[in-house]
Parts: sequence; structure tokens; C-alpha cells
Amino acid sequence: MTIFEKVEIDKTMNGIRHFSVRHAKSLSVGACLLVIAASFGARAAETNVSADKPTSMRISSSQYRRTIADIFGSSIVITARFEAETRENGLLAIGALNNSVSEDGFERYYEIAKDVAAQVTDKRHRAVLIPCKPKSATAGDEVCARKFLATTGRLLFRRPLKNDEIQALVAVSKDTANKKKDFYAGISTSLIDLLISPDFLFRYRNIEPDPARPGHFRLDSYSKAAILSSFLWNSNPDDLLLKAAENGSLQTDKGLAMQVDRMISSPEIESGVRAFFSDMLGLDQFDVLSKDAKFFPRFTPDAKRDAPEQTLRTIVDHVVDRQGDYRDLFTTRHTFMTRALAALYGVPLVETTDNARPMRWLAYTYPEGDPRAGILSQASFVALYSGAGRTSPTIRGKNFRLNILCQVVPPPPPNVDFSLIQDITNPKFKTVRDRLTAHRSNPTCAGCHRLMDPVGLAFENFDSSGGFRTTENGVPIDTSGEWNGVKFSGPVELTKALHDDPAVTACVARKVFAFASGAMPSGNSAQWKEIQTKFADSHFNFLQLMRAIAVSDLLYSVPETRVSLLEHK
Amino acid sequence: MPNKFHNLLSVSIWMALPLCLNPIAAQAESRGYVIGWLATASYYTGDVKMGCPDGRNGGVVEMHARELEAIGFGKKEAVELQRKQRDTDAIVPEYRDKVYNRARINGKEGSVFTYPDFTSDPNVELYSGKYAYGFDLTGTAGPSKFEDPETHARVDNQLWRALGCINQYRTFPPQKPMLEDTSWDVFVDNAPAWTVQINGDDLSKDGKVTVTIGRATQHLLRDATSSTLRDATYIVDPASKTRNVLEGEIKDGVLTIKPAHIYLEGELPFYMDIELDNGHMRVNRQPDGKLIAYMGGFTDWKRYAYMSTARPFQDAAAIEGYHALKKVADSDPDPVTGQNRKISATFRWEAVPAYLADSKGNILASPDDLVQPQKVANNAAQ
Amino acid sequence: MGKLTDLIGRRRVLKGLLAGGTVSVGLPILDCMLDGNGEAFADTGAPIPVRFATWFWGLGFGEGVWVPKGSGTSYQLPDQMRALEPIRHKLNLFSGSEVFADGNPVATHVTGGQVTMTGRVENKIKYAGSLDCLVSDVIGNGRRFRSLQVTCSGNPVDSWSARKDGTKQLAETSPLALYTRIFGPDFRDPNAAEFTPDPNVMIEKSALTAVTERRNDLMRQLGAGDRAKLDAYFTSVRALETKLQVQLQKPAPMLACVRPGKPPEDDGGVVTLVSDAMARHDLFANLFASALACGQTNVVNLTITEGMSGLRFEGETASHHSLSHEEPIDPALGYQKKCFEYQKVYMKGLLEFASAMDGIKEGDKTMLDRMLIFAYTDHGAPRLHSLHNYPTITVGSAGGRLKTGMHVPHAGQPITRVSLTAMQAMGVPIASFGTGSNQANSAIAEVVV
Repeated sequence: MTIFEKVEIDKTMNGIRHFSVRHAKSLSVGACLLVIAASFGARAAETNVSADKPTSMRISSSQYRRTIADIFGSSIVITARFEAETRENGLLAIGALNNSVSEDGFERYYEIAKDVAAQVTDKRHRAVLIPCKPKSATAGDEVCARKFLATTGRLLFRRPLKNDEIQALVAVSKDTANKKKDFYAGISTSLIDLLISPDFLFRYRNIEPDPARPGHFRLDSYSKAAILSSFLWNSNPDDLLLKAAENGSLQTDKGLAMQVDRMISSPEIESGVRAFFSDMLGLDQFDVLSKDAKFFPRFTPDAKRDAPEQTLRTIVDHVVDRQGDYRDLFTTRHTFMTRALAALYGVPLVETTDNARPMRWLAYTYPEGDPRAGILSQASFVALYSGAGRTSPTIRGKNFRLNILCQVVPPPPPNVDFSLIQDITNPKFKTVRDRLTAHRSNPTCAGCHRLMDPVGLAFENFDSSGGFRTTENGVPIDTSGEWNGVKFSGPVELTKALHDDPAVTACVARKVFAFASGAMPSGNSAQWKEIQTKFADSHFNFLQLMRAIAVSDLLYSVPETRVSLLEHK
Repeated sequence: MPNKFHNLLSVSIWMALPLCLNPIAAQAESRGYVIGWLATASYYTGDVKMGCPDGRNGGVVEMHARELEAIGFGKKEAVELQRKQRDTDAIVPEYRDKVYNRARINGKEGSVFTYPDFTSDPNVELYSGKYAYGFDLTGTAGPSKFEDPETHARVDNQLWRALGCINQYRTFPPQKPMLEDTSWDVFVDNAPAWTVQINGDDLSKDGKVTVTIGRATQHLLRDATSSTLRDATYIVDPASKTRNVLEGEIKDGVLTIKPAHIYLEGELPFYMDIELDNGHMRVNRQPDGKLIAYMGGFTDWKRYAYMSTARPFQDAAAIEGYHALKKVADSDPDPVTGQNRKISATFRWEAVPAYLADSKGNILASPDDLVQPQKVANNAAQ
Repeated sequence: MGKLTDLIGRRRVLKGLLAGGTVSVGLPILDCMLDGNGEAFADTGAPIPVRFATWFWGLGFGEGVWVPKGSGTSYQLPDQMRALEPIRHKLNLFSGSEVFADGNPVATHVTGGQVTMTGRVENKIKYAGSLDCLVSDVIGNGRRFRSLQVTCSGNPVDSWSARKDGTKQLAETSPLALYTRIFGPDFRDPNAAEFTPDPNVMIEKSALTAVTERRNDLMRQLGAGDRAKLDAYFTSVRALETKLQVQLQKPAPMLACVRPGKPPEDDGGVVTLVSDAMARHDLFANLFASALACGQTNVVNLTITEGMSGLRFEGETASHHSLSHEEPIDPALGYQKKCFEYQKVYMKGLLEFASAMDGIKEGDKTMLDRMLIFAYTDHGAPRLHSLHNYPTITVGSAGGRLKTGMHVPHAGQPITRVSLTAMQAMGVPIASFGTGSNQANSAIAEVVV
């Protein structure tokens, strides 16, 4: 068995996209393949794509923002809210497959496009972002407009623009420029056009005949590039990736691997990792989270803002910087905090910056034996999956299963008669474990609740805001339970019991694939087994999982039935 | 009845020492706090006539009317004129300049805020009630002493005698007197916080303790209700002028100190500083860990009044208060004029538990309201 | 001549009239803007339009104690509805309706609303063609906004509105943001004497048209599934185009239109206190009344929260939803006391909502008389997640097409019959609504005029 080399992240890049060819480190594949028998939980395998199912994916709000920042720089500010994304099977990325654009959503995109275009063409930015100068600033200039729109359009549409597309854009630009006697107004209008186009707002899986297999089809290079960049960098393809698409090297194993390795060893990989875990852990739900300030005064707006970031930093540190075992995320004592979070958790954090400076992120390590370890003891899990006043072990348990183990607990049946099991003679239950006795004792309820409640009860030391407690209403909290026959007490022991459960690693692999493609993988193919093996062989190095998926044919599969509907361009 | 410093009935709950950790008994304790509330100790029951039988000070309208009288209006006329204003909190605009420049220095006009001594005494009613918070600073009996409503001791608080009938001071916690209320709100988000550290062998018992009042390098953090955030970490400024190491003891659950000089450096718009000669203090710990303290001594009354006079128009009672303080000041006579320069005064403060650290990352003190204890261990900053 | 050419043709016409000139004559109206209900042209005396509103509250009325004993016009309003006494003669209460799962998995707090609004038990992906969209398809054209959606909870997905193609219409969460959208810089007072079309709007439209012109090219390359998605996208583009087009037209005068005052600052974030949600509710109600009266839209939708209402009274740790399951039934009263308090607050909200509409005088009637408010909920008895005994309330007579002031016992009947009755009263040309056991084939005769 070969140990995969750790991927070197080039920290000198400082996040600036590099437009020259870089030497990519090559990785060797293990000589012997271990077949890992993995359990996939209750989910049935789903086919990747079929003719009647959509294959296009709507750009996510974070991808939109990153793309604008990558193309136009981070001084372009987007303040408007995007249309809400919907979560399916636990991932927004799967929802993106089914999402179109509602009327309200389109209006939002439109407002954002106007805002961005206005900034790009304003006096401060135009000299830098529109490199050519018009012959006259008060009239149209086809040559300069064409140059800017072709360059920008390629980066926005993830492919070169066709001649008639450029023509139409230039015409719109000229028309407006002449009407308003302002060249830059013209550019602004055509830039709006680009930004509201379906070619920007959606990524497509376009197919072309496969020269290696006559009669069969494959995804075209640009579609592959779009998948790669949104997966690994959470953004649109950069110039180098588009060039690799244009010259055909993306269609070769070697060329694909070279781009994948380049992208994984870039600091931009952090964006991809963040985007994935943010989706998997449901961190977008912080937007609609609210806690009662009277009960939880330490859950300040700063703490709420910082909580998801804490988890993402912990994860990036572990899987990107240290390239540790994925499973150790649930037991690691290393994390990062700001003073606001430290107060919420009741731990000391010595911050030496000057008075009134923004709070810095500082590394913090919990002492040995501390009951708070792993990302699940952080507010991003325990506070996110709690109500505004009370905790709900059922909700925590349900999301634990869904997010970490890919296990869906079905909703309660209709017409459950609570009067049968509700003990109305003793309505005052001291701890939530008491209150949920009914869930456990009634056979109708217990079937599903025993999947959720015991797990959730392990976290009851964390109140609804993520703060630590040992008693509830004066009674000590009991956090003991059992996992697959292993007894545990508290979340750290629970996550240790989970460490060797193959469901944990199998689930994250499936979710990463679904994040990249919009659908869960079919679990039985040889290619999927190969991905799983690579992941295991690398000691569950998350970047290696991303690599394995990015170079796999499985990610670029084409539905055979689509062929008959295809018309050549 | 104030809450005792230790609760004999339920030691195990608030002591926050878990049964499994820290088996060593009587380890020296170091508890940290930051002061989240500080103001002049006011005594008020809500009864409008309390302590002011004449009742002639009135409210803002009457006060501005007195200012109009000072520039020549008749009493009734002045009150009517002021009452007619849309914004009664401010003096009638057309007479504003005349009112606030009525100081006369060798016949020349001057601002009352710059030259309060050259402005006539508005002669407000002084407080003559029975109660005021404070401490016995002289050791002698006397008619000017009040009774402390908590300890029932005979105490000195001439500051309260001066200000206790001026409307804006007649408040009770959590409300502060108006000027301190508005100033504190600005102070909190900008000025470095005051830290309190209490060291002792076993703070759950009576015994000797050391109280160190210092200043942090950072300002207070607010919680989600805009009160002071608990359990945050503050670095104690090693170079601050505020460093008071006070010997004290806990007796019957109340912490008091040996009289000492106390100095707290502040910042405008709040007090520039609070300096107390013969400083006394008593501290009570609430069940939830909060400290409530009274702190008194002789303070320079001009510097106290400066908080008002330094910000013209912020405190309508600035001149009235100034002259009242001057009249009843009771210590440190000026060798030439005989005017007492210091006045007995009492302040009240509240502090919430916090971690205190030094700039090298050493934890100096821990909060005592946490369930999951943190060892007082090194945690070096990046 | 296709629609596209028509647009280009009109664009040329409009181009000539622009350049800052004041237009005092109404511009030709596009075909798509004529509707069966007509416009309110004061000079022509055409009928004033009938409007529609949906209004959703979570967690119903609880166990059946609330069902009035009498029927027809002589009945006692249920206790939680007492606040509505002043307008009882303008409302109808339907009790006892059923939602049938037909063996499908039931999504608690969702299936009830879903069947009421779409007639089908389906998953979230297939949620399409809601009742309000079917109505707005008929009466929504020609207005600046085809319909408006709001929620008081702060969560934009708390909306039951979805177009026929499945595109969900999300809800606005901030009254101030709604005000700015409707009455902000793009608002054209229908009663203003002068009208100047904004030349920038024309330019904005040209960017949109350039997008729609590429539609055929794009569609050719796509599979069926993607074509459906892109169809929905282009429909949304078209909606904005239409809106801009309306902005270029001199609006028809609306007698009752008064521009409302600006609501206070509100970032539209999540709220969990009942008082906060209902404060937003009242602001939304007034904004809706103004929007309808000023002809900005004909269809409005409001939800207080999602079905699983997370609202609390001040000082309570448990939400309404938690209480609905955990609070024991008071043996003397026969219902859950605390939950009852929430229901009372919601019903008071319904009174506010209806009163806002009732306060607009249009000729000899009020706007409420000329509209229909459809108030519905997720469960009849949420404690049991039961699909039985739903309360549904309609307020207003839909311009005289419905009788009002009645209690209609509807026990055992599919709730979709109430939905169908409402839609037919609004002129939607459908004969049946719903599938399987939820299929309704006839309106409720007792209330139809």
C-alpha cells in the first residue's frame, strides 16, 4: 500500500490567481487496491443524470460572489441578498440542480447585476478593469467594447463567446453609449446583460461526440472546466483552466490530472473546502437563527457571526493545512476563536491587539480531557440545531444522522395520538431526557426516535446557545448512551465510538461527489469503489478524496438517452 | 438584605469546582471581574418629596427658570417663559447666550462653565434626608452624618447632601444619574475597562483577601442585551496609573478593605478620574457571580464637577451642582482661602466575572460563574 | 408576427417618443396586459377589479372544541375568533375539512398547506401551481406586480406560492423593503396629472431583450429537464420585461390610491417573539391595502410563519409549536390554554388584515367587499399532526359572487372544495382541483350566489 504524498499548498500565493503555468506536483497511485466494503445507509443509489432530469446547476450565491471577486477584484461590493437556495437530501448543491430562477429571484439578480456593472465602470475602477481606452468617452467605441466584452464574457460564461453573441453585446453597448453620450454607460448595460444571462447563472453539461469511442458522447471541455472550478475553487474557471479546455488537454487523463493538481495545491482550494463543508453542515441556516437574548446573553451578534467561521477554520486547518484524517475532525481539540466566542464557551482567550481593533482569530486548544472536542461540540452544530429557548435532542440527533452519516430519518406519521402516551399527571419534567421519555417508551414513536434522541441527548451539556452546562433545572444532566453496542458518555466519547464506523467516511465521500455534480453517486460502480479506496488509502485525507473524484470518469458521465435529442452546434 | 459573599447553604453549586477535578483543598484562588456599571451612589425611594421638604428645586423647567431669573426675569415670568418652550429641556433659545455667559470676571463676560466661581450661587435646596450610602470617614460623630440604608452605620456623604435634591440625581439602579448614564454609554465602547481581581486562600470562607483594581487594555464587551458580557478575557494594562492593591477581608460574607488611597483613571465624557483619599469599600457577591460594591472617600469636588462643566449644555444642573458641592465640601481646606477642596463621596459599581490575563498570555484570574472550569493555565497568544 | 417582433416594433415606436418628452396620452397597451377583469379607468366607467389575498397562520385551532354548533348565518364564532365579531357578516368559516394522504408519506406541518394550495400531496420539488398563482394568472396581468408575497417570520422560504412550472415565489420579510419595492423610486402615482416615461427604463429593457433573444439558441442544446428549468428562467425575465413595460405606460387612475407612509427600519431578519411578528404583520397589511388600492398588484399573499410556528410570547422558552405538542389539554376547558392564546393573537391579526382592506372606500363599497381573503392553516389539530377537521376562513364576497356571514360545516369533505370555491369565485376557469381523494369537482353551493 502506498501512502499518498501530502499535497503542498503554496502559501506564497496569497490567494491571487496566477496566470502563468505552474509546475504541478504529481501524485502516485497505490499499487494495490484495497476494496473497502462500505455501507451507504438507507439511501438507494441514484443515477447521475438522465434525459428528463435537469443537469444544469444554478450558480450558488457564494460562487457568484467569488466569481465577481476573482474577475473584478474584491473592491467590488455586493450588498444585496440573493434568492434563497433550497436544500435537498441535505445539500444545497443538489437543490441547485433543480432550482431555476423565480420572478423575485430574477429581479434580485438584476439589481445585483446593475450594482456590479455600475461599480466596474465607475471612475475608480474603469482604468484598471477596462484596460482599453475608447476613442471618445462620450460615444460608443466598438473596438474597445468588443475587447472588454469578449474577455469578460469568456470568464463569466466559462467559454469563449460566439461571434454573434459578441456582436449583439457590442450593439447593445453602442446603442446605449450613443443615447447617453457615455461610453462607460454602454459597457455597463452590456455587462448587465452578461450577468443576467442564463449562460452565467447556470452551468451546463454539454456533450460532444467522443472521438475515442465512435457513436458515444462525452462532456465537452468547457463543461468539465465548469465542474472542476466550481467544485475545487467554488468559482468560475480561471484563464489557465479555460486554456486547458480550449487546447483539448482537459480531455486527456494527463491534462486533467495536471489541472486538478494545480488547483488543489493552490490556496484557492480553501474556498472549495469551505463551500463544501458549509453546505454539508448546513451553515447557511445561521442566517435564520435566533436566540432569546434574555436566556442567552452571551450569544451576541458577534458570536453568531463567528460561530460558523470557527468551524470552517477548524476544518481548513485540519484538512488543508495539516491534511489530517477526516475522522479526527470529530475529536480534535484544536480550534480557533475570537473573544466573543471565547466568552460564549467560557474559555480564556488572550488577545493583545489594541483597543477597539476588530477581533482577531486566535488558535485555541482545549485541555486534555475537556468534554468539548471536535466540530460537533461547537456552536455551529449545537446552537444551530436548537430552538431559540430550548434544546431539542431530536433535532440535533436528526441532523447528526443526516449531515454526518447520510441517514434520513422519516417524518412522523400523521394522526399520532399523543394523548395515549402523554403523561398529563406529571407535566413538569425537569430535564429534556425526561420530557422525551414518551418518545422512547411508545413503540410507534420509538422506532424512529431511538435513531435520533440518544445521539441528541449526548449533547445536552450544551445549551441552546452552545454554552456548557452540567445541570438543567437543578438536576444533573445524563449524557450517556450506546452506539453500535459501544457505551458512551458525552459527545467526545460518542464521536470516538463513531471513529471506526465506515458510514462516516462513506457519507462524506458521497456528499463531496454530490456537491461536485448535483447528485449522489451510484454506489456500485467500479469507479466509485476506486474513489473510496483512494480515500481510505490516504488515511482519509480529504484533499485526496477531492482529487480522486475530480479525476474520475464518474464525475463527467453522460446520459446515453440524451444522445438522441442532441443537435450539433 | 445584601447577599453574602459565600452562601453557606449551597457551596457546591456556585463554587464551580467540579467534584472530579481539583482535588487539592484550599488552593489559592484568583477571581477576575470587570466593572460593568459605575455611578454616584444615589439613594432614592421614588417619593418625590423624599429628603427635600422645601420641594423648591423642581425639575428641568424650574432649573432653567432659575437661570432666567439670574439674568433679571421675575420668578413667575421665568417659569412661564420656560414652560412655553417646545423643548423644555433646553433654555429659551433667545436668552441662551446671555444665560450661559453671565459669569463676570472683573466686569468682563465669561462662560459659566469656564468660570463657575464667577457665577452667582443658584442656591438650590440641599438634601436633608436621613439616608445616604457611604462610610464613616472621620471616626467622629456629627450632625452632618447620614445613616447608610444597608449597614445602618453613621456615614459621611456630603456629595449627596449637595446633589441629592437635584432631580437628575434622584434615581436608583440600574438607572444611573442622567449625565453619568449618557456618558457611560459612550465610555463603554471606547475606554478601557476597569478590572477587579480578588485573591485569597479560600473565598468561600471568611478570611483575608487582596483586591486589585486595575485597568484593561481593552474596552468592555457588550452581551446580546447590551449589558456587560460575562466570561470574556481582558488583558490587564501593566502600565496603567490605575493599580490599586488593597488589603481586605471577608467577614460574614461581606468583603471590606483597609482604608487606602484609591485611584481610577477614566476618560471623558465620563469621569476623567476618580480619586479617593481614605478610600473605603464594601463588596457583595450575588448568587449569579456578579459583584455589587460601594466605594467611598474624600474626593476633589472640582474634578468631580468637571465632568459636568467640561461639557457645556450636557448637564443643565452643572452650575447648581458646582455651587452646592462647594458649599458643603468637608475636607482639605485651602491654606489661603479656607475653602474645603475635598468632599466626602460614595460611588457604586457592579462587576461581572471575567478572565484576566497579562500581555504574555498568562491567566491571572478566572471567572467563578462557569460550570466547566478552566485551569489557570498558560495559553499564549499568537 | 410573433410576440418578439411585436416587442421590437413597439420598441421602435417608443424610441421615437423618448428623449425626455412628456407623454400626456396613454401609450398603446400590449396584448398581454388586457385581462377579462378590465381596468379601472375612471372615464370609461369600467368595473373596478376584484382582488385576492391568501393569509396563512400556523397550527390551526386545536382539538374540535372550536367547531360552532350552528350553521348558516346563525352561529357563534369560535372563542379564538371572537376578535372578528365586528366583521362576522363579511366572513365565512368552513369547519371539518379533510386532507387525504392517499398512502403518500405525510410531511408534518406541510402536507395540509400543500393540499389546500395545490390540491396534491407531493414532495417539495413538485410543489407547483399554487392557488394564488392560478388566480394571478387570470387577474394578475397588466399590474406592475403579478403578485406579492410576504412573511412575518423573517424567513423568505415561508411562502406557499409557486408558479405552475414549479418556481417557488419567496416571501419578502421586511415591511420597509416591501415599501421601497412598491412605493420607492419606481412608483408612478396613478393619479398624477403628468407622466414622463423614464428613458433609463427603456435602456434597461434593451438589456433584457438581448437576453431573451438568445433563448432559442440556448434551448436547442439542452435536455428536456434543463429546458423546463430554463423555461422558468425566461418566464421570470419576461415578468420583469412586462413590469418595465408597465412602468413606461401612464397608469390608469385609481380613485382610492394614497401613497402610504414609510415603515420603520427593519432588516427583515428572523424574529421569534409573537409581538415582533405581529407588528410586521400589521405593517404588511397596510402596505398591501395601499398596493391593491393603487393598482400595483391584484394578488397578495401573507404568511405569519411556517406551519411549525416558532413564535413565542415574551419570557417563554417553548415555541408555539413545542407547546402544541407538549402542553396538556386542560380538562376543564377541553383545549390547550397556552396555544389558545396564540390562536387569539393570530385571529386578531386576521381582523387587522381584513380591516385594512375594509378601510379603503371604492365608490359605494369597500375594497374588502370587492375582494376575497383566503385564510388557511397547516393542521386542524396540530397536537396529533392530524389531517382532519381543518378550519378555513374566507373574508369578503369576491365582488358579490359569494354569500358571507356563514358557518359551513364541511366535515369529511376534501379541503380542496373550499379552494375550488374560492378560485371559481375569482374567475379561474377550472372545473376541478386536486388529485386522488383530494379531488374537488364542485364548489360549495351554500356560499355561491
